[in-house]
Amino acid sequence: MDVLAKNLPYLLSGAVMTLWLSLAVVSLSTLLGFIIGTLGAVGGRTLRALVTAYIFILRGIPVLVVMFLGYYAFPAFGYRANAYVAVGTAQIVYAGAFVAEIVRSAILSVPAGQFAAARGLGMPRGKILMHVVFPQAVRLAIPPLLNTSLTTIKQTSYASVVGAWELTWAAREVVERTLAAFQIFLGVMAIYFCICYPLAALSRWCEGRFVVAH
Amino acid sequence: MPTDEGQGSRMIEVVQLTKSFGELRVLDGISFGVDKAEVVVVLGPSGSGKSTLLRCVSFLEPYDDGEIRIDGELVGYRMNGRGERVPRSETENARHRQQVGMVFQSFNLFPHKTALENVMMGPLHARGQAKAEALEIGLALLAKVGLSDKAHEYPIRLSGGQQQRVAIARALAMRPKVMLFDEVTSALDPELVGEVLIVIRELAREGMTMIIVTHEIPFARDVADRIIFMDKGRNVEEGPPGQVLTTPASQRLQLFLRRYQGDYLAT
Repeated sequence: MDVLAKNLPYLLSGAVMTLWLSLAVVSLSTLLGFIIGTLGAVGGRTLRALVTAYIFILRGIPVLVVMFLGYYAFPAFGYRANAYVAVGTAQIVYAGAFVAEIVRSAILSVPAGQFAAARGLGMPRGKILMHVVFPQAVRLAIPPLLNTSLTTIKQTSYASVVGAWELTWAAREVVERTLAAFQIFLGVMAIYFCICYPLAALSRWCEGRFVVAH
Repeated sequence: MPTDEGQGSRMIEVVQLTKSFGELRVLDGISFGVDKAEVVVVLGPSGSGKSTLLRCVSFLEPYDDGEIRIDGELVGYRMNGRGERVPRSETENARHRQQVGMVFQSFNLFPHKTALENVMMGPLHARGQAKAEALEIGLALLAKVGLSDKAHEYPIRLSGGQQQRVAIARALAMRPKVMLFDEVTSALDPELVGEVLIVIRELAREGMTMIIVTHEIPFARDVADRIIFMDKGRNVEEGPPGQVLTTPASQRLQLFLRRYQGDYLAT
């Protein structure tokens, strides 16, 4: 285990990159998914069809393919983007589809009677969404959203495939240098677990709390 | 030529109202009126169009043809310069709904809000009143329906009867011109029905204009100024409760009342 201890600082600097990438992808994909999911639930027919297409297409493609597409899309359109921007954008678009589906389903799960009661009071559409629908939909959406966030964080390890340096890439570098693959990846596993565990625990806590509240 | 403003003195005027869901005609040219401070009870078998009628009056459901007027104003549509009927904007419809209090069979309280917050929702977010003012209205109305001690409870911690009383208070908070009750006791245990009916009876005594859809025939006899019996989307028979319930003219109503009395005696 000496080899792991000796290379731990280098692995942790890779973990910091993973954290930054995760933070950017999770927050922006959640924002994108909320907007698209809401449009998919309350928008007009054309908008709903477009959202359905987006969700179905992205859900039917492996994340690695989307990341390669993202990586090669910028040069294909004549732009130069660094690897982080390319894979980050691809992952935001990919994870956004999953978030959109969760948000769309959560909004549609709010009983129709709730809309009717709010409309019956004469509340305008925007306020119905803000004060009646979203608070109830968010309670339903939080546990699956946290699960999706966990998956998204772990998927940032694919970024190394297209040349974005982060924890997994750092580990591969150390392994090439030391040939201690088992020990190093055991350490990497522990670091990923430490990053993901708080979110997993939060997800479990929310599940219990919000299910009881409903 | 019909105009936006009606000429009659009635609070609610329904004329030749039709509404279909696909091929199914749910309202088939029904007409009736409700005077100010009058209580009209609508009876009828399941599927006769009673709930759809109330949803059209509150314009939660658009109607196909005919007219509905509340206090003389055409509901859901207005006449343009060429005398054609055009849909009103959603903002206008929202304003209309503020004048029509609707209470539902399944309460439909907002589960993430306390009883008091439920009652404050309309004043705050539909009328745009100040929070202090909405709070005052909310507390006064909860007191009126006998639930001051439950103001800070969430709906899940209230009985069905209490939830329905909060729903009535929530509708009253908009100071509506008319109140519509859609089978408000059907989802309640028999023991809890009385407490809701007391509140409705009190509103009738205060002169609130109301349309009540119910299966509680003794209550209908007691509270109604007039009873309308509906079947297949039509007004089959109407009149004072004493006449309609004691000496029904139509065979359909006679059959309905016989069935009801059979069920009533069986329980």
